[in-house]
Amino acid sequence: MEGLFFNIDNGYIEGLVRGYKNGLLTQSQYLNLVQCDNLDDLKLQLSSTDYGNFLSNVPSPLSTSVIQEKSSDKLYGEFNYIKSQSTDLLTKFMDFISYGYMIDNVALMITGTIHERDRSEILERCHPLGWFDTLPALSVATDIDSLYSTVLIDTPLAPYFKNCLSADDLDDLNIEIIRNTLYKAYLEDFYKFCQEKLPIPSNEIMLRLLIFEADRRSINIALNSFDTEITPDDKLKLFPNFGKLYPFGHTQLSQTEDIESIKQVVESIGEYKNFFDNSNGKTLEDHFYQLEMELCKNAFTQQFTISTIWAWIKSKEQEIRNITWIAECIAQNQKDRINNYISVY
Amino acid sequence: MVETSSKEESIFRSAEMSLIQLYIPTEISRQSLYCLGKLGTIQFRDLNAKVNAFQRSFVQEIKRLDNVERQYRFFSNELAIRNIKITEEPYMDSESNDSIGSLVKASEIDEYVENANILEERVSQLIDSSETLLKRQMDCEQALHVLSCSDEFFKLNSTQSSDLIALEDDDDQIALSSLENGGAPIVNFVAGVIARSKILALQKILWRSLRGNLYMNFTEISKPIFDPKSKKFIDKNCFIIFAHGDLLLSRIRKICESMDSDLYFVEPDTVARSKQISEVQNRSADINNVLDTTTRSLNAELSAIADELYAWWNVIKLEKSIYQIQNSCYYDLGRKCLIAEGWVPNSELQSVKSELFKISNNSTDSETVPIIINILETTRTPPTFHRTNKFTVGFQNICDAYGIATYREINAGLPTIVTFPFMFAIMFGDAGHGFIMTLAALTLVLNEKRILAMKRDEIFDMAFVGRYILLLMGIFSMFTGLMYNDIFSVSTTFFKSGWEWPSGFEVGDTVFAKQVGVYAWGFDPVWHGAENALLFSNSYKMKLSILMGYMHMSYSYMFSLANHIYFNSMIDIIGNFIPGLLFMQGIFGYLSICIIYKWSVDWIHIGKSPPGLLNMLISMFLSPGNIEEELYPHQATVQIILLLIALVCVPWLLLLKPMYFKYQLSKKHHYHQLQDNESSAATDANNLLADINNDDDEVHEEHTFGDVMIHQVIHTIEFCLNTVSHTASYLRLWALSLAHAQLSTVLWTMTISNTFGMTGFIGVFATVVMFAFWFCLTVAILVVMEGTSAMLHSLRLHWVESMSKFFEGEGTLFEPFDFKTVLNPGTV
Repeated sequence: MEGLFFNIDNGYIEGLVRGYKNGLLTQSQYLNLVQCDNLDDLKLQLSSTDYGNFLSNVPSPLSTSVIQEKSSDKLYGEFNYIKSQSTDLLTKFMDFISYGYMIDNVALMITGTIHERDRSEILERCHPLGWFDTLPALSVATDIDSLYSTVLIDTPLAPYFKNCLSADDLDDLNIEIIRNTLYKAYLEDFYKFCQEKLPIPSNEIMLRLLIFEADRRSINIALNSFDTEITPDDKLKLFPNFGKLYPFGHTQLSQTEDIESIKQVVESIGEYKNFFDNSNGKTLEDHFYQLEMELCKNAFTQQFTISTIWAWIKSKEQEIRNITWIAECIAQNQKDRINNYISVY
Repeated sequence: MVETSSKEESIFRSAEMSLIQLYIPTEISRQSLYCLGKLGTIQFRDLNAKVNAFQRSFVQEIKRLDNVERQYRFFSNELAIRNIKITEEPYMDSESNDSIGSLVKASEIDEYVENANILEERVSQLIDSSETLLKRQMDCEQALHVLSCSDEFFKLNSTQSSDLIALEDDDDQIALSSLENGGAPIVNFVAGVIARSKILALQKILWRSLRGNLYMNFTEISKPIFDPKSKKFIDKNCFIIFAHGDLLLSRIRKICESMDSDLYFVEPDTVARSKQISEVQNRSADINNVLDTTTRSLNAELSAIADELYAWWNVIKLEKSIYQIQNSCYYDLGRKCLIAEGWVPNSELQSVKSELFKISNNSTDSETVPIIINILETTRTPPTFHRTNKFTVGFQNICDAYGIATYREINAGLPTIVTFPFMFAIMFGDAGHGFIMTLAALTLVLNEKRILAMKRDEIFDMAFVGRYILLLMGIFSMFTGLMYNDIFSVSTTFFKSGWEWPSGFEVGDTVFAKQVGVYAWGFDPVWHGAENALLFSNSYKMKLSILMGYMHMSYSYMFSLANHIYFNSMIDIIGNFIPGLLFMQGIFGYLSICIIYKWSVDWIHIGKSPPGLLNMLISMFLSPGNIEEELYPHQATVQIILLLIALVCVPWLLLLKPMYFKYQLSKKHHYHQLQDNESSAATDANNLLADINNDDDEVHEEHTFGDVMIHQVIHTIEFCLNTVSHTASYLRLWALSLAHAQLSTVLWTMTISNTFGMTGFIGVFATVVMFAFWFCLTVAILVVMEGTSAMLHSLRLHWVESMSKFFEGEGTLFEPFDFKTVLNPGTV
């Protein structure tokens, strides 16, 4: 049934996204990329892919940051195009995707301000997909209360903020806590939205992807809070209330104080079994990305879903990370580590 | 002489091709390739398919030229921003070679590169300085606006001070009065300029952070102002915000700055303010002067570039294409020569040879080895090349859009020249509409030189490329229109009608006409308006479409025979062609003969009712040997024999070819290996590169018996079903022609024919209005829309019904290295 009406609103966009997906770099294209000797070669190789002549107006010599910037620009252009084509539920869905970036931007902005960085420098580092008009005004705020009441109250992030108004002064730890609380609220909201509003099979796939996202955050929080004064109860408050580790894994994670015990908790989940296997020089982060890419790839196997958009964006971001990595390795002559990219397509 | 005659022949079958190998000494390689590009007759093969794009020999040169092209793009962008048109050389006729100059020397290319570098530096410097100036000008302008706005605001308030005082609290009162009186200047306001789109957000944030105590005033600046961030002119607003207390003011300043607004200091004192205004005005005048000069010199620089850019760009494009070709050649460092391989039509071999010969003779260096041309024998399939002229190109495009003919197969484009417009005309039969179409096409044809020089948009270009198709379509539909005796749905009475009405009758009677003769040309006009006119014309047009379809398919089928004979494939004639022919002729050939036979018998004279042919054909299959109404004696026997033949043809078609293949396969098995070695040794004897590029040979698929069998099963099923469905498909000729005739009748009777009885002023007025109405609708609906539809149906009849009978379409298009396509991609 879902296929019957899906194409009325979303058929074009799904076609578009599947087209974009087919433009993702394949294994063989990566093999060509890693053979390059300098960045100009890389540009030449990329020009025969979906990136086309995205660098053709850039004068040599190229730099890694330019490559990253231009390829990201392409992604943002495509994202905004899809967003402008979307209707109703899909618009809301796209909004949800951008909230994640907004949270990052808010955290970045506040951190930058308390470290007294230059405003334009921080703004440059903000993620374009999480941009909102009043973002620069965040640099004025000095405490959480004014932050909320002057700027954030007008943004879609306002409802997520109600749980973190208690924190008192802004320091690095508190910002990190704010960020994670926000992210937790956001993920839970997104989860609820996917569960209740999205039709089958979009919801199934999205939930799978979000569950992974939540677990990744929980594990990261547990890992990064070893020697801080955050109590287990506080930690528990930062974990999103869903996911494969919820609820028992969460209680255990909040108690852990070393990697070994985290490893025990995480490895009780089948899919996450090899996360701490660091043979081949793979880090935990690499394992996260690898699994995420697998999930995204699988998301494309079903028709009539808008979850492909999420999967595409995540894959594309990974691709840009890969290209940047390869470019960086070439630029710094670190050829032995060049193969540490993650490609599943 | 030989050359010209062989040049014209490649319309029936694609031109014969040779694979040639060129050994070009590196010293003259550039020159020779330039010459070949000008000639445009050779399609180079990529000999380095396995080499990575960036590992090829001339990547550095291409990169350098890419950089020049980037600089040119930068220029053309700047030109577009400043509305300076690039002077293009007049568009050259694609037939002539004039637009391509002679070879530019390698040293001159270096000059081009150098030149582009210098220019880029200069232009970007000028642009930078003009931008800084613009920014300073913007500063001044904004300051002026802020000053004048706040000036006005204060003036307004001083007249209405009593109102304001009521609004403001005590502190503000003092402040406002003190600043108006020139007392101690307490600055308690912030003034500045912000982009109009951001004003709401700013207001909201200020309102929140000041807890609702916001006194803010803003005015729109009418002129768009430069924005240094986006480098565009955008709408902006002046604003002025009042608050008290240094803390609050600094906070407001911070917020405003964070929202990308520009704040300006405004003297609170009236006198000081007017002095400030005049100061800023002076500054602004200075800046404007400097800016003017900078802009002028920038524009002068750019317009100088604009004059030359087109020519420069062409040179660079050609140079780049030469390097790209060199990249696909094998570069022999040891022998210092470039080895290229490419396809050339046999008829052009001579000219290629003589051109290259000229070059190797002309080369000043006597030590250079001459260019060696080597014609290779190869098992590769050459590309398909149909030589076209401006008349045939449209028709060839129609067929190429469906598929590129296999090498040396009969070209479907040749018969299309006649059948396409004719099939169209059967559906579009109206002399009047055909005439309009002919006129339109004639305009395009007669003015083609002028239109060719114009820039055409996509839709118009489609009509223009197909102008000769349109012309033929128009002429043919005039012919069929006269046959149908329809001119704008009205019939003509050029000749005496073959029917005669009875002289006396009473009103209300049904009168019957009596035949006294035969009308000299096409339909008798007397049918027009007769009660049984539709009955007659339907039966006639229906049978006509079957006959047309039968003929169209039959001769298309004959082409397959010609192909089999040409490719010397006896098994295809016996296993495919003959059973298919018998099957088709046995059923629909027989039907066609019956149609003509039925027409030629005067059924009323011999006093028999004419038999229905449709039922005859159906019962021929469903109850063989059973004849309800006899058409001719011994009909039952003939039909049974035909049916048996058709039935035999099916297994014949299905089995013979696969069986033959199996037999061949088992016979060939024994000495397969040896033969293979021998042939490869023979073909590669004169190929020095044989060892290099053997691996990129085309994949020769080994057919197994299963493949052939499946293929033949599909072919059999398809052929038998298609015989029926394709014949039925030709009934569209009848349906569309009927629809067209009826639609034009309706249009005629609903509009203009109503006015024919009217007299006087109303009559004149109505006739003129109705004519305009009728004519517009005729052109828009009947000629353009119906014409498009009939054309698409005709296209389908060619692609599906006709071409499926013989066309393989497994060729690849011949794409020669030609400077004309390099310079104007998309044309030709």
